[in-house]
Amino acid sequence: MTPAWTLISAFAGAVIVLLLPARAAMASRMVALVASLIGAVAAGSACLSKLANPDAAPWSFDREWIPSLGSRFHLAADGLALTLLFLTGITAIAGVLFSWNIEKRPRAFFAFFMTIIGGVYGVFLSRDAFLLFVFYEIVILPKYMLIAIWGSTNKEYGAMKLTMYSIGASALILIGLVAAYAATGATSFDIAHLAAATYPPAMQAWAFPVLFLGFAVLAGIWPFHTWAPTGHVAAPTAASMLLAGVVMKLGAFGALCVAMPLFEQGFAQWKPLIAGLAVVGIIYGALTALSQKDLKFIIGYSSVSHMGFILLGLAAANHWGLRGAVLQMISHGIIAGLLFGIAGRVVYERTHTRDLTELGRFDLWKSLPGAALAFTLATAASMGLPGFSGFVAEISVIIGLWKVYPWLTLFVAAGIILTGVFSLRALYRAFFPERDASAAPPPELPPLTRPEISAIALLLAVSIAIGIYPKPWVQLIDDGLRSPLFQTILSKP
Amino acid sequence: VNHYELFIQLLPEAVLVITALVLLGVAVAFETKTRETFAVGNAIGIASLGILIAMLALWFAPQVKGESPLIANDALAHLFKGVVVMLGLVAVWLPPARLEIAQTGEYYALILFALTGLMLTVGTNHLLFLFVALELASLSLYLLVGFSRTARAAEASLKYFLFGGVSAGFLLFGLSLIYGFSHSATLGGVAQALVAGPPSPLAMTGLVMVIAGLGFKLAAAPFHYWAPDVYQGAPATTVALVSAASKVVGLVVMVRFLMVGFHSAAGSAAWGGMIAGWSMWLAILAAVSMILGNVLALAQRRSVRRLLAYSAVANTGYLMVGLCANGRASVGAALFYVVVYGLATLGALAVTAAVERDRGNDAPNAFAGLIHRSPFQAVCLLVFLTSLAGIPPLAGFVGKFSLFSHALAGGLGFAWLVGLAAIMSAISLYYYLSVLKQAFVLECETTITCDISRTHILAVALPAVALLVLGVFPSLLLDPITSAVVELLGSH
Repeated sequence: MTPAWTLISAFAGAVIVLLLPARAAMASRMVALVASLIGAVAAGSACLSKLANPDAAPWSFDREWIPSLGSRFHLAADGLALTLLFLTGITAIAGVLFSWNIEKRPRAFFAFFMTIIGGVYGVFLSRDAFLLFVFYEIVILPKYMLIAIWGSTNKEYGAMKLTMYSIGASALILIGLVAAYAATGATSFDIAHLAAATYPPAMQAWAFPVLFLGFAVLAGIWPFHTWAPTGHVAAPTAASMLLAGVVMKLGAFGALCVAMPLFEQGFAQWKPLIAGLAVVGIIYGALTALSQKDLKFIIGYSSVSHMGFILLGLAAANHWGLRGAVLQMISHGIIAGLLFGIAGRVVYERTHTRDLTELGRFDLWKSLPGAALAFTLATAASMGLPGFSGFVAEISVIIGLWKVYPWLTLFVAAGIILTGVFSLRALYRAFFPERDASAAPPPELPPLTRPEISAIALLLAVSIAIGIYPKPWVQLIDDGLRSPLFQTILSKP
Repeated sequence: VNHYELFIQLLPEAVLVITALVLLGVAVAFETKTRETFAVGNAIGIASLGILIAMLALWFAPQVKGESPLIANDALAHLFKGVVVMLGLVAVWLPPARLEIAQTGEYYALILFALTGLMLTVGTNHLLFLFVALELASLSLYLLVGFSRTARAAEASLKYFLFGGVSAGFLLFGLSLIYGFSHSATLGGVAQALVAGPPSPLAMTGLVMVIAGLGFKLAAAPFHYWAPDVYQGAPATTVALVSAASKVVGLVVMVRFLMVGFHSAAGSAAWGGMIAGWSMWLAILAAVSMILGNVLALAQRRSVRRLLAYSAVANTGYLMVGLCANGRASVGAALFYVVVYGLATLGALAVTAAVERDRGNDAPNAFAGLIHRSPFQAVCLLVFLTSLAGIPPLAGFVGKFSLFSHALAGGLGFAWLVGLAAIMSAISLYYYLSVLKQAFVLECETTITCDISRTHILAVALPAVALLVLGVFPSLLLDPITSAVVELLGSH
């Protein structure tokens, strides 16, 4: 199976779901699950064959599309893209499993869900800037609909805020891309072609921050992160998983594979600021998470904090940094999905509260031991304990950072400690509360369902697999980093 | 040119005029005989038949380039006459108004006259003929706006007439100044006179007046004051005609006028290097239109039609961005975008007309729960509004993207204008989404299904399909437009 099947399966899944008879809930779920499985298997098998055959030419698909604009329908997948495709596939499966109980307009739900997945696959596969932008924008409307229709807490506000941030960021990306296109003679939107050109320094100085910020808003860069917590909290579980798990990675991916290679000088000029904002994001996210009462808000702000590591890895701009950034994209994608799945679906659907104090009444470690165990492991992964993917990723970023801005690692260390504090606080207060013996016994809660257990097991397995044996992932990522796109960045001291 | 050839070249317009006369005769005969009003369905049938025959005639009409400035059947004229009749056909399929229209025969005959005028306007390089053709269209439209005989319609019609009359005055005065300067009533002659020496103040004054006159047609700010009232008060069919076909024609005329006639007086709108000329003036109009249109559209909470009117002002701004970059590719992109815009706004009006008929008003909350009442209309509305907002995979996205990229390709100095356009376009998503939120997210109190007539279904479905197809395969329209522009202006 070529990586194209990821894209085909997702969009075909969306169309097939819409063609089903009205209110066909079970059939919609099954179609979405099968489509996600096909996508994940296609991405996984492509990863395996890449590992078995590292020197084989990467898969690509290149057709004439809009000649008058100089845009081609050009898809290709190197190792880096393959790992992100695989992450998307896994998140998609887990998202469908965690949405198994959606009864309200199920066809529309899964159609929007699969459209987002398809758009994300498309961004990771695109080698033409126009095509990439098309897929990037396709995601916006389904995001809005998922949150506004199926969401909770303040959903219309959260949905609109997130959408306006996304579209505003897209406007910045458009300006940056079009500027590069115009400066290279308006002939082609091919990313390699645009990256190979040299731009006047005066232009790079403004075009880089515009383009980078456009992508970074979606990656949750401080102070433009505020859409993320409100959006994540308002969204239904599967959408929170997708938003934190893969959609935020689109921003990071765009920053890494488009903004930085296009305007290398501009990047060199601005990277101290990026590193600074990333560190502020890490600490600010952690501190805010520490003061929140809503479990989903805690996870939302922890996402802001963790995304800071990605930006920090990018700003370090050496091999360790970039590799760590990509590893963190994958790691955070998995872990955020897991945390949101447990908090939003497993716990909230049973207790109907996400408030830490309220949750304390339920004695979750007794009434839902499976969920408590899973959340404990997920918290450990999120804190970056060895043996989980987060450790591998964050240590790479910090090594990369040490080589460039050694004094910044001090603040990062503080951020890591804060992460531990807020994660443990949330874990203890929600799942292992101290109770006096005289209090009323906690209500009985229904046990975990099979789809929930499968989704949790899948995500945990991937996180632990990366944590214990990171070598194949590192190989794939390094394959991507050997692309000519990154050579100028990596060759700088 | 002998008379037979002239007739062949003008056959599509002739067919429209003949249909209009037949329609008038039939309706009058029917009404005097039976003393009942002529049914709207019959009038729509006759008018559509006439337009379809005109389309066939247009399809087979020969393309003649440069034979006569009066009737220039070049590729651009041919293509956009096709676009105009197509948009006109879809407009005719709309139900005319909430209240029945008293004189159906006259109403549809006037629509055909307006279409004839618009078609003639598209295909001429002659100043006087341009004015006459444009007035034929305008006079018909003034009447069409007031046809539903409500207080709103009367107000709209009067405003449209007053503003239109003043702008026609500007246009005519400007044209006569230009004639006085160049001693030629053709655009080619004007271009030659301009090349001969530095642009005289006389010609430039004329140009400013012409731009003001055409700015009215295009609803560019600050000449847009008629738009909200006309959009809100006029019958749906008229609004469809004004917003889609008339706008397309306005842009084509502007392209011909500026790019063929006044090409050497363009000046520049580049940041830091501004040179007086129409490029700079249009850049200012564009910026004002985009800001005013979008900001005022944000404030519209009571009427989707008014919202669409302000969105029309904003979209004119985007079109002018393409024009003022003054390049073949950017003008081609603007022409592509105006077609796409016309389709989207026409479709949105068609859905609004259906909602209005059922709920009695066109406030955004009348759209509540449309997805349950009519999934077909709701999904099409999604297509139209997201295309207007520029979301892929719809044609509006490709249109805006190519417009902005080709405009910027004219020089990085345009970055200020393109950046403003991109940000304004992002803001516009807010008000489109607030309508879509009603249709998709909120529930409605009634569960009446929204049934519409067969022609009305076509009027909703055709633009939606066209927007999807053009969104995925934009080259289908972009390539003919590009080659037509190259034919008009030469390849360098």
